Amino acid sequence: MTTRHPPRFALAVLDRLLPGSSPLAGDLTEEFERGRSRAWFWWQVLAALGVAAIRRRDEIRPLRLVDLQPVEAQERSRRMLLHFDAVPLTGTNLPGVGGLTVVALAVLVTLLAPVVWVAFVGSMLAGVALGLVFIARERRHS
Amino acid sequence: MGRQLLTDFELMILLAALRLEGDAYGVRIARQIEEVGGRRVLLGAVYAALDRLEANGLVSSTLGNPTSERGGRARRYFTVTPRGLRAVRDTRDAFVALWQGVPQLEERSS
Repeated sequence: MTTRHPPRFALAVLDRLLPGSSPLAGDLTEEFERGRSRAWFWWQVLAALGVAAIRRRDEIRPLRLVDLQPVEAQERSRRMLLHFDAVPLTGTNLPGVGGLTVVALAVLVTLLAPVVWVAFVGSMLAGVALGLVFIARERRHS
Repeated sequence: MGRQLLTDFELMILLAALRLEGDAYGVRIARQIEEVGGRRVLLGAVYAALDRLEANGLVSSTLGNPTSERGGRARRYFTVTPRGLRAVRDTRDAFVALWQGVPQLEERSS
């Protein structure tokens, strides 16, 4: 007799996206052992995630009450309302270099030496790959 | 305190849990509803409803021992609380009261 293993990826998805779902995962495993199909298993997992998502959306979150004097609370809400970060649409973080300058440079590079873009995109992809390697290494060590 | 009425699904879950007394966990409750109640249910929906019922104090749950059949995971057994039992009775009374006096629902004499 061969032992059937429930879809590991489905269990990992359930475990990752639905905290505290261990009894549900156990029930699904139990049913799978009794002969339910992999499709049934996946359907139940996806449906459970869907139900949880709907429930979260409809959840009524209790107000967090804080111990503040009325004046303090007023001042805090005023600060919260007024606090926003200015987003420069035509500027960059480099002093003296505006967004339009960057666009002009990009156009110039495209016209004169388009091959530079290959190196630019290549280095970006290499950076992403390196980042993924670091994340994987970090996860393996932790 | 006012009466707490249940939805049809919650009522089915509580009735199934009462029928299974002592052996009421997710998949058994779902099977009872399917086999006795004739309604197909999703396990995720059963657990979501049970969580809601537990948050309202209508059921309580305890964890059993992990078993290899379940991949080392424990069963979560549910028990209907006295408040849950009262909610079942109140819901039945409400249904019965609504049922009465409706000519279309009266038994036909053959």
